[in-house]
Amino acid sequence: MAQDALDKLRDLADGQIDFEGQKLAELLSTLLLSVFAVLSFMVGFTLQDIKLAVYIGLVGTCLTFLVVVPPWPFFTRHPIKWLDAYASRSLVAIETTTE
Amino acid sequence: MFNSLNRIQNTFGFFTTVAFVLASFIALSDFVTPRAPSAGTIVPESVQVVKGRPHYYSSKKEEYAIVKFSLDASLESLFTWNTKQVFVYVTVEWPEPGADNVTNSAVIWDQIITSPSADHLSNLSPVALRKLKRSAEGKSIDPSRGKLKIKNQKPKYQITHPTGKLAEAEDVRLRLHYSVQPWFGILTFDQESDIGLWKAFKGGVSELFKLPALKKKTTT
Repeated sequence: MAQDALDKLRDLADGQIDFEGQKLAELLSTLLLSVFAVLSFMVGFTLQDIKLAVYIGLVGTCLTFLVVVPPWPFFTRHPIKWLDAYASRSLVAIETTTE
Repeated sequence: MFNSLNRIQNTFGFFTTVAFVLASFIALSDFVTPRAPSAGTIVPESVQVVKGRPHYYSSKKEEYAIVKFSLDASLESLFTWNTKQVFVYVTVEWPEPGADNVTNSAVIWDQIITSPSADHLSNLSPVALRKLKRSAEGKSIDPSRGKLKIKNQKPKYQITHPTGKLAEAEDVRLRLHYSVQPWFGILTFDQESDIGLWKAFKGGVSELFKLPALKKKTTT
């Protein structure tokens, strides 16, 4: 039981996501940061308010971290389907690699 | 991007790039904002030359000029969202006698005018700071701070010359200068010719005057 709980905790901290999720995370981080930067410039320039611009930029960055960093379910929707393991085959494979 | 640590590193790495580019754009936005600073008048009010010592234990006696002045300037257009503070200073200039193209120049007075976004940085007493903050309540920029109307201002600094001789100097004039310190970008100074949308500083120079003779001690 304790082992299971520990494994779960480690998985959560590690936060691994699948390949499709990685692609999505990359896209999201790039897009969100850029959009918030453009927004912060436009709002700051039209309202002539540098503090507001900085705050929009920082809040946008925090939001991006929140969206991208944790292993949200939408990053783990396409798990890789591995082939079934054969006992005999795997033995052969081990032998060939150790040569 | 396969685990959380990797995603933190990637996102932070791109954040630094975005922050730098955003700062560059803010710096460049200065160049599309017109500036047209001008000074109405700058006049010396009372000018005195006295003998003094550079410090208490000095045996060297030098002449010091104390120039009171009045000025009138409108620097409103220097206050944009990217302006942190404007430094305004007045110099006294006079040609070195017997030398061509040598101008003496010394600062007699200066002032820092902060933008509301930089009020918390100003070095003022708590009471004065509260008053300053209240004057710009709810405003992100306050161009009215660029309107200068100074009457009979005492100089902050008395000036002298390396030779210690200053009395009766000819062709002296006062000049108002400014420098704009932005949040992001380059430091800019008062300019003598137009650069893009930034007009040259109009006025800001007084008529020529002569420093008076040394003030005689009235003790008998």
